Amino acid sequence: MSENAVVFKGTKEGLYILIKEDMDLDKIKHNLNDKIKPSKRFFEGAKIVNFKGKKLTKDEFEELKELVENDYGMSVLGDYTEDPDMLSDKEESKEYTQYEKLPYDNVVQDKVLMLRATVRSGQLIEFMGNIVIVGDVNPGAQIKATGSIVVMGTMRGVAHAGSNGDYGTYVAALNLLPAQIRIGDIISRSPDGLGVRASVPEMAVVKKGMIFVEPYLPNR
Amino acid sequence: MGEVIVITSGKGGVGKTTTTANIGAGLSLEGKSIVVVDADIGLRNLDVVMGLENRIVYDLVDVVEGVCRLRQALIKDKRYNNLYLLPAAQTKDKNAVSPQQMQELTVELAKEFDYVIVDCPAGIEQGFKNAIAGASKAIVVTTPEVSAVRDADRIIGLLEANGLKNPQLIINRLRVDMVKRGDMMNIDDMIDILAIELIGVVPDDEHIVVSTNRGEPAVSNNESIAGQAYRNIVKRILGEDVPFMDLETDQGFITKLAKMFGFVKKR
Ligand SMILES: Nc1ncnc2c1ncn2[C@@H]1O[C@H](COP(=O)(O)OP(=O)(O)OP(=O)(O)O)[C@@H](O)[C@H]1O
Ligand SMILES: [Mg+2]
Repeated sequence: MSENAVVFKGTKEGLYILIKEDMDLDKIKHNLNDKIKPSKRFFEGAKIVNFKGKKLTKDEFEELKELVENDYGMSVLGDYTEDPDMLSDKEESKEYTQYEKLPYDNVVQDKVLMLRATVRSGQLIEFMGNIVIVGDVNPGAQIKATGSIVVMGTMRGVAHAGSNGDYGTYVAALNLLPAQIRIGDIISRSPDGLGVRASVPEMAVVKKGMIFVEPYLPNR
Repeated sequence: MGEVIVITSGKGGVGKTTTTANIGAGLSLEGKSIVVVDADIGLRNLDVVMGLENRIVYDLVDVVEGVCRLRQALIKDKRYNNLYLLPAAQTKDKNAVSPQQMQELTVELAKEFDYVIVDCPAGIEQGFKNAIAGASKAIVVTTPEVSAVRDADRIIGLLEANGLKNPQLIINRLRVDMVKRGDMMNIDDMIDILAIELIGVVPDDEHIVVSTNRGEPAVSNNESIAGQAYRNIVKRILGEDVPFMDLETDQGFITKLAKMFGFVKKR
């Protein structure tokens, strides 16, 4: 993803829209649109606790609030504030400095939901961030993440990674037998019939606009 | 205080009512006191399967609405000692009772009986919510079909979400010849997906049909292989460690069952 002027951030209180300090209103609006458009349905009806980060003027606040509410169907619960304590995101700044010196360029610092359970038919696990399931995901269950999905077990349900439109995300499982994989807005379904597949850990990624499934551990 | 066990499945027609009647009768043969409760309001048939239809005066909805006392609605079985039936109403629907009322009802029953066995209707709506409301333990019945197993999985999720942890599994109507031909889901595959403890495999058995029509549970029929399976299930409910029976003389299948017995996943 190019410029992250805005980030959706899930906290104990609810969802915040985090705005970078040095962004102008146009950029913010543009970036909001980029983020929300690909998965408008996902955001519809979402309750935003407030905006955080950049100190907005009262007018800017109202304008963004109106955009988010009218165009995207979310609701902003909080009021306008200039209080720096309310605006600052202490947790966030701490996180970033901690990992700054890692020698990788693909470090993902989004939140992770860890779940140790069998996810069963009819259950939907939805999260703003990455999801790790320690257990099986059964047919009829759905896992939906704005980030990547890792299943330490058999994935037989529907996996939707990058539900905000992020094609850089992936779905990995020890035994990847999903009914369907979606990454961003790309959908790929399992071949019809009872195909017997080698049960090596596999990973689904996007390449050239298509979903590819490949082993991610050497097959010994 | 007795134990309240709900027999449920999600999918219809897989053998909940048959199982309820047989476990009820089987527990009676083991000297326990039991009441079986038909929670399938509007589509009752536990009374028919037990051959007690002609004795119904009051039903579950009458009790809940205060038309009669609980004692008055309980029907004593004609063959088995200390086995009673609380029939469902036939002319009402599932919304005639609330989960709260069902819970109060089962608490009352559990004061007087060792076991309260609730026969749950198919589906996941009001009738299901009513049936599980007072239960402390659940037994999920499935047949070896993909759709039944899928529904069982859904039900297990809903049971767990409602605080009924660690439900147990009965696989009903297994046809060994079909499994061997690969035309039916095998037991390992089902347990692998459902990941709950297996307490019984009941073969498909025409004795069940005969006994259902006569209103005599197969559990007391020594000729019936399904009856034997239900006797084993009853013992396992009572906490006995009964090995799974040989449904076939085929060695491969026996070892498979033995393996499965030790292989049941617990999470
Ligand atoms: N092991 C078995 N072998 C042969 N027939 C069986 C077996 N178990 C159940 N049946 C038959 O299957 C039919 C459905 O059984 P039953 O009424 O117990 O299912 P149910 O789950 O209670 O159905 P519903 O969802 O309608 O309440 C009956 O005709 C019964 O005789
Ligand atoms: Mg029934």
